[in-house]
Amino acid sequence: MEESPLVARLRSHDPAVLLRAVGALHRLAEQVEAAAVARARAEGWTWEQIGDALGVSRQSAHTKHGK
Amino acid sequence: MFERFTAGARAAVTVHAPTEARRRGDRRVGTEHLLLGVLHDVEAAQTLGVDIETARSALAALDEAALAAIGIDARGVERATITESSTRLPFTSGAKATLSNALTVARRTGARRIAVVHLLAGLLDSDRTDPATSVLAEVGVDRVAVRARVVP
Repeated sequence: MEESPLVARLRSHDPAVLLRAVGALHRLAEQVEAAAVARARAEGWTWEQIGDALGVSRQSAHTKHGK
Repeated sequence: MFERFTAGARAAVTVHAPTEARRRGDRRVGTEHLLLGVLHDVEAAQTLGVDIETARSALAALDEAALAAIGIDARGVERATITESSTRLPFTSGAKATLSNALTVARRTGARRIAVVHLLAGLLDSDRTDPATSVLAEVGVDRVAVRARVVP
């Protein structure tokens, strides 16, 4: 696939890229967490088990992901 | 704060933009989310010549490129759209500046209310470092040319 000029420019290490990368890491973590929790719930994990795995309390996990 | 906004502008700023931020997992509403919020408006999307899906993809592409720059290949990773809570998200300073620009543009043109077109003008006037500017460049919008076509 042909890269757009901006994407090509982003290959360099300017601060804008690095700062975006940090933000993207946060977003990636949140999105992967949401997917992982949904999968765990579908497979019968309890909120306590999920909380332990994420390093947060059962209640935090449930408040954040339980609906 | 938003009483002087038209219904469309208010929806873009207070409903669509925060929703776009949340679904990406962002904790503050930035200019990129305001841009997506504005693109919910069909007329604004036509003015820019960009639809919302294209803009969302551009934002994701920018993220992937930034991650690649630090050696992370996030392609193909299973992700879910965040649907959590409706807690109010604060605006970034860039987003506040955009809203302030929109107000200035509306005043200058003698408009009684701040409409989507004023938000659009504010976004097109964004700072170089604003995420909205990166998205507009990524989707190939000529900011100067489009800005000349919307309100003075």
